[in-house]
Amino acid sequence: MFRRSQQEHSPRAATALRLVSVSKVYGTAQSAVTALDGVTLSLGAGTFTAVMGPSGSGKSTLLQCAAGLDRPDRGRVVVDGEEMTGGTEARLTKFRRQRVGFVFQQYNLLPTLTVAQNTALPLKLAGRRVDQERVREILTQVGLGDRLGHRPDQLSGGQRQRVAIARALVTEPGVVFADEPTGALDTRGAREVLRLLQRAVRVHGRTVVMVTHDPVAASYADTVLFLADGRLAGHLSGPTVDAVAERLAHLGDRVRDDAPTGV
Amino acid sequence: MFVLALNSVRHRPGRFVATLLSAFLGAAIVMTFNSLHDTAGARGVDEVSAESMTTAATVVGGYGSLLAFFAVASTLTVNVRGRAEEIRLLRSTGATPAQITWMVVGEAVVVGPVGALLAIAPSMLAGRLLLEMFQDSGQVARDVAYAFGPVALGSGLVVTLSASVGAAFLAVRRATRAASGAGRSGGRARRFAGYGALAAGAASVLSTLALDATDPMAMAPAAYGSILLAAGFAVFSPVLLRAVLGRLARPVEAVAGGSGHLAVHTMRRRAAELSGVLMPLILFTGMATATLYMQAVENDVIRAAGLTRSVDDKNLETLNLVVVGVIVVFSCVMLINSLYAATSFRRREFGQQRLAGATPGQVLGTVGCEGLLLTATGVFFGTVAGLAGILPFTYARTDGIRPGQGFGIWLGIVAVAAAATLVTSLWTARLTLRTPAVDAVAA
Ligand SMILES: Nc1ncnc2c1ncn2[C@@H]1O[C@H](COP(=O)(O)OP(=O)(O)OP(=O)(O)O)[C@@H](O)[C@H]1O
Ligand SMILES: [Mg+2]
Repeated sequence: MFRRSQQEHSPRAATALRLVSVSKVYGTAQSAVTALDGVTLSLGAGTFTAVMGPSGSGKSTLLQCAAGLDRPDRGRVVVDGEEMTGGTEARLTKFRRQRVGFVFQQYNLLPTLTVAQNTALPLKLAGRRVDQERVREILTQVGLGDRLGHRPDQLSGGQRQRVAIARALVTEPGVVFADEPTGALDTRGAREVLRLLQRAVRVHGRTVVMVTHDPVAASYADTVLFLADGRLAGHLSGPTVDAVAERLAHLGDRVRDDAPTGV
Repeated sequence: MFVLALNSVRHRPGRFVATLLSAFLGAAIVMTFNSLHDTAGARGVDEVSAESMTTAATVVGGYGSLLAFFAVASTLTVNVRGRAEEIRLLRSTGATPAQITWMVVGEAVVVGPVGALLAIAPSMLAGRLLLEMFQDSGQVARDVAYAFGPVALGSGLVVTLSASVGAAFLAVRRATRAASGAGRSGGRARRFAGYGALAAGAASVLSTLALDATDPMAMAPAAYGSILLAAGFAVFSPVLLRAVLGRLARPVEAVAGGSGHLAVHTMRRRAAELSGVLMPLILFTGMATATLYMQAVENDVIRAAGLTRSVDDKNLETLNLVVVGVIVVFSCVMLINSLYAATSFRRREFGQQRLAGATPGQVLGTVGCEGLLLTATGVFFGTVAGLAGILPFTYARTDGIRPGQGFGIWLGIVAVAAAATLVTSLWTARLTLRTPAVDAVAA
């Protein structure tokens, strides 16, 4: 699934994702919420990064700004060596098509299309040739080779998420973003999804950035980035479940200490 | 649950605008024409005046009511179907199917009569204008006073209430069944109703032939028949649509690329749901074709009977065209209304397409392709339904079968149908694209 077809892409950049002082404020005046506050980070190609932090700390905003689903107010975003410039939604969409895959907590598969059609859709929309054999291959690798003609509503949550992963990988993007991809799944479904993401990185050299609340999920990653109040609050390499859980607990302390009035 | 229904109407009024508008317009049409019954029934109205008004009220008020019934019902169906997600959510939070049914039917019980009550004042105004036109054309004596009474009010309330409550009940039953995973067993009742409508329509159309050539009511059974046939076709149109789409998949994709691909596959899957949108489209085409051509034939007959065209004849012609025009405009507005509702309910789906890599232009391209395919299907069935009324009527009136008018009127109708369908769905889709894709799928 994660094989690259050389002729279609320029050589992959060594830095898959770079954010430079990225800020995002929602709302205006009194009701303004600073969701991201000058985030700078750099992720190498072929890495698996988890992003963690308290609810409302800006994780989803970070992912959406990095993936071109939302526009940061300030700062630069460079994906796979290419800087994301603003412009129309159509331009951003075309940028995403080539460089970004996204996996959502709620799958967001199209209910009217089959598993195979959903997987091939990004290629179709980009006007690229659809190699049915490759679609079958990629779905076989996520364990759904026998479900090509099923509709999303005939699949379990875990299976739907695996289709979503196949769809995110089929365009061979520079970075795959996943926002709580296991949030709606049971333990077994979650484990399968995490193993797939891990394999995409380890075996096939993809770059994955995943938001999660679950220390177990985070332990599948190579590195965990912690986010608090829209700012980076440290990282952890080679995370274990216990280490992540402890760090999270302290992160909670720090956030509380910083905001004694309890806003 | 009735409280829940009231709350849901109060807190999210936007979703009910379309249903309220359809109840309002439906009731207005019904009450305007049926108030002629009240006027004719008042004391002191001379026999000739009473008869002209009763005839008009029976013919136009009758098929107008039938048309309003189906139009209101189809808007309600679209509304409930568009809320399948919400219904699933309610179920998963513990609401029983009976509770959900009561909620949705409760909404219809509130919205239907509110629409009808709002329509009273406009109907009185329109009815008065209508009466004046009758008086100008010499059909009704000058001294007849306008009356708005129990017939108008009762028929308006009964038609809107029964159409909205009936449709809401059927649609929500289907939705709760689908949500509970039980197969689509409701299909049989629906097919049965479809066959019933087709049979009744055919009988009504054929009965035109049995009428006397000069019977002033001859237009009624033909128009009834056309409406019933249109409604019946709407029930079965998904079958045809699905078959046609199977053939069209490749050519449409070749011409329209990714947009065409999405349009064909989405429509094939949603064919059953599309009958809710096809209903007003078929009704509009069928009604417009049937009534405009029949009226043209009728006017020709009147013109042929009088040697010179008197002022009265001319007024009568104008009156007839105005009456028919009102009905045609009404069904066109209903078409726009339910297309607007159906499209705005697809905000989430459009968001998902965008997240999968569709540009806003491609989303609109998909909607445009769908609009063209819908128009073609609707125009086809609508024309068949319309012709079914026109041919026997023309035969009864003139001995010929084909009306003397050319294709001009029909082409105009097709153009209006296509424009209404495309402009409404594209414009509505464009509105939904203003919401960022991520928010659109979350809402
Ligand atoms: N569209 C929006 N409009 C206004 N405020 C928003 C919007 N999206 C996010 N926010 C605010 O921005 C902040 C960060 O939100 P974000 O969704 O990124 O948090 P998160 O870390 O993903 O939280 P969670 O773990 O609950 O998903 C929050 O305070 C949130 O209320
Ligand atoms: Mg989030």
